[in-house]
Amino acid sequence: MNRFSRKAMQSWASLGPRFLPFADVATDDLPLSRLLRLSLFQVSVGMALVLLVGTLNRVMIVELTVPASLVGVMIALPIVFAPFRALIGFRSDVHSSALGWRRVPFIWRGTMLQFGGLAIMPFALLVLGGQGHANSAPVWIGYLGAATAFLLVGAGLHMVQTVGLALATDLAPVEDQPKVVGLMYVMLLAGMIFSALVFGLALENFSPGRLVQVIQASAVATVVLNVLALWKMEARHSRPGAVRGEARAETPEFAASWEKLINGGQAKRRLMVVGLGTLGFGMADVLLEPYGGQVLALSVADTTKLTAILAFGSLLGFAWASRVLGRGFDPLMMAGYGALVGVPGFLAICLAAPLGWPFLFVGGTALIGFGAGLFGHGTLTATMQLAPREQIGLALGTWGAVQATTAGVGIAFGSMMRDIILALPIGSWFGAATPYISVYALEILFLLAALAVIAPLLRGRATPGLSAS
Amino acid sequence: MNYDPDKVWPSGLTIGEAEELHRHIIDGTRVFGFIAIVAHILAYVYTPWFG
Repeated sequence: MNRFSRKAMQSWASLGPRFLPFADVATDDLPLSRLLRLSLFQVSVGMALVLLVGTLNRVMIVELTVPASLVGVMIALPIVFAPFRALIGFRSDVHSSALGWRRVPFIWRGTMLQFGGLAIMPFALLVLGGQGHANSAPVWIGYLGAATAFLLVGAGLHMVQTVGLALATDLAPVEDQPKVVGLMYVMLLAGMIFSALVFGLALENFSPGRLVQVIQASAVATVVLNVLALWKMEARHSRPGAVRGEARAETPEFAASWEKLINGGQAKRRLMVVGLGTLGFGMADVLLEPYGGQVLALSVADTTKLTAILAFGSLLGFAWASRVLGRGFDPLMMAGYGALVGVPGFLAICLAAPLGWPFLFVGGTALIGFGAGLFGHGTLTATMQLAPREQIGLALGTWGAVQATTAGVGIAFGSMMRDIILALPIGSWFGAATPYISVYALEILFLLAALAVIAPLLRGRATPGLSAS
Repeated sequence: MNYDPDKVWPSGLTIGEAEELHRHIIDGTRVFGFIAIVAHILAYVYTPWFG
């Protein structure tokens, strides 16, 4: 080795860990700046969600003239991966790594999958839409390409979000967890709103080249945001009771861990609450705008504002829940209040049509947003606080699996139910509002069921304080 | 910096750490190779080159 390369080597070694993505010491306090940086992964998840469910939905139908039913199938594909969140979370719990990382490898892999899916997405969509020379190619190439792209993005975002939330739980002390949950939700919402606006502006003058630019730019943004979020975030060798540098003698089986989680602390009942409540709040998401437009004769600009009002209500809910839960209020009680607020919200929306009061509709929408915010915050905080220290990934993965699956199923089921009732002879018993009102009534039932399931969990600890954890 | 006999220089990693990093690099290359192939096929179907 000559003098020069030895010198170069020494300076490389002395650069030290400053430029490496490791956090060598686990700190007990979690400053807000670090927390904000960690929450950037939620921005990338929000961006991918908006792209899949909102922007590309419209682009495929309007600009690329893909049949709506095919678009529906493609958009539903990522839900296939939602139940696997539990498995991903478990794998990250027991991941044995010489580098001492548990969460980072999974977030990195998820980021790669999301990036890869977005990288091929624009070409897949153009081929699916039969643009350019693609109309002379066999149809299955477009199907296969688009399905691959959607599956990759879906797998990636479920992986990133599950393991990212597990990492946030690892890092945050118990008393800070409500704050962390609030921030995660707000950043998800902020990422969705911001990227929806940016995508809308960027795609205003649509051209195939522009589509490629926009989607691939979002792929790059995914990697940048997630690497920023990860950098120096997870302490090495932080597993509870881990021996430095050695893999554990035996890794627990998924089935055994699952049994342990599901049978401890009434987890099954809590998951039922999550599922019922998410169904209750989620089914109307895509029906609010058509209800306002078709039944209450609001203009397009007004119905777009409805979505903003819903989001604003949720933001208020997150903020208030963070504040109250931060003082030690029972998060399950908060989730119960959320469902309780949702019931009059849906009632108000139902009554808006026969009474002809658009104001009631707006107020109901805001109430639903608020209730959904409280409910989401409460259930996630409860999951974090009740998760056994060595099963954080599995617990949050299970929560995410139930939440994402029921949300997707709810949206699909809500619009299907409207179409079916519209086609039935009972479809106009109460005028044009009939199919919508029946969906809303069903949602009220789901919320009441969630309340019935949650009630036994709350009995005996109605006072603030976390005696159970 | 305290001395660790398992560490191999010039990288300063242990063999296990180096192998793990290597595995990530190989995995990444495979995934991106696959993605690149798919992207090229789709781009060719959309606008064939040398056509």
